[in-house]
Amino acid sequence: MKTQVTFTQKIWYVTILLVAIFAFNPAYGQSTSQTRTIKGTVSDLKGPLEGANVVLKGENQGTVTNAKGEFTFPVALKTGDVLVISFLGYEMIEYKIRENTNFVKAVLSDEVVEFMGAVNSNKRYKSKRKN
Amino acid sequence: MRIFIQHIFLFIFVFQATAQLSDFTHISFEKADEIALEYKDETLHNLPDLVYKLTSQLDTDVERFRAIFKWVCSSIANDYNLYKRNKRNRYRYRNDSVKLNAWNTKFQKIVFKQLLRNRSTICTGYAYLVKELANLADIECEMIHGYGRTSTINLKKLDSPNHSWNAVKLNGKWYLCDPTWASGNPNPETYHFEFDFNDGFFLAEPKIFAVNHHPIDKKWFLIEGNTPSFQDFMQAPIIYNKAYSYFSDHNYPQKMHNAIKRNDPLNFTLQLQKEVDTEDVNLIIENSFRERKVHPKQVSIQDKSLSIDYKFEYSGFYDVHLYIKDDLISTYTVEVTR
Repeated sequence: MKTQVTFTQKIWYVTILLVAIFAFNPAYGQSTSQTRTIKGTVSDLKGPLEGANVVLKGENQGTVTNAKGEFTFPVALKTGDVLVISFLGYEMIEYKIRENTNFVKAVLSDEVVEFMGAVNSNKRYKSKRKN
Repeated sequence: MRIFIQHIFLFIFVFQATAQLSDFTHISFEKADEIALEYKDETLHNLPDLVYKLTSQLDTDVERFRAIFKWVCSSIANDYNLYKRNKRNRYRYRNDSVKLNAWNTKFQKIVFKQLLRNRSTICTGYAYLVKELANLADIECEMIHGYGRTSTINLKKLDSPNHSWNAVKLNGKWYLCDPTWASGNPNPETYHFEFDFNDGFFLAEPKIFAVNHHPIDKKWFLIEGNTPSFQDFMQAPIIYNKAYSYFSDHNYPQKMHNAIKRNDPLNFTLQLQKEVDTEDVNLIIENSFRERKVHPKQVSIQDKSLSIDYKFEYSGFYDVHLYIKDDLISTYTVEVTR
């Protein structure tokens, strides 16, 4: 006996197919509702740091802290993004945005560098002579 | 399958073993240099942004590193006063580690302030910046500390490390660079810094580099087998900036100070990096009374090895300077006896 596929059944097949496609689409898995604006502060042991760089790793998107060491990241971030926080003379740190991260509090530590310097010279050597 | 894996292994290892400095001769740094000069006046207030500007248009790590190196060498001045101040205090506190540490901490703040405000620094500042910028561009780069020798550094008093430079990893291999000495020289009279980029200090040949750079940690010679001892280094001849443009190694004389008998030949041997005409090889021989330019009769170039034999006819004490055209290469002293 030949089975008749009704119009309603066709609709059901298509619906199931569409659901399957969307459910397994990896892009759909990262829900847009999770991106949010991240604020934060950057300081060292003595207090807030003005002019520290906050950059989204691998992108040319970032900001600089104000006089109170505060920043608001210019684009919305999602879980798993990494912020690179750096300032001349301090150890650079990477801060990973977690599911519950809304505020970043970064404390940078001094980079310990012993400074030396030998000045270059193209001056021709001349022996010191007794006479 | 096993043969396939063996071949893959063979392929990888053979490739690594044959990697040479000359791997990069097919790459032109014109574009990288242009970019570095275009952003010459950028400040150091936003390092990630600076790195993006310098590197985003370039395709290879070596070009990206070149743009960073060239930028640092063309934008950061060598601060002679800062150098003198540090040298004085490091010498003053050399036997008092507490005071020396306190000075280092204080000086570090001064250095970073100077970098931001005036874009001027001393060696470690150059090496630090090159490392930071390269790391921001995802290029592995280290600061190397050690001893540096030039004609104006008191050769007898070099008792603590005085210089810093960089090692950079490109395509899986380490190379040496000296951003401080590549940037230029202080004017010999006024000590005012003059920019004069020297390509020879970019991915320098490790052997010639070791003649006037002695790292604290031996592995940074990047030389396989025997490395020069500290004594070898202290007794070595003086080589100048231009030596790096012409030569890959300096073999003889091994010492700065030489003693020889009249009419015995003194041999000079150096390994060339580029073609040189024997006609362009000259010695300037200087004694207390006068100096004269000599074109040595016995000059040979074989397989990129330059060899000169020179006989002194009269006894005396001489400063001998080797020149290629008008470029000063090296200096020796020779005491000639009967």
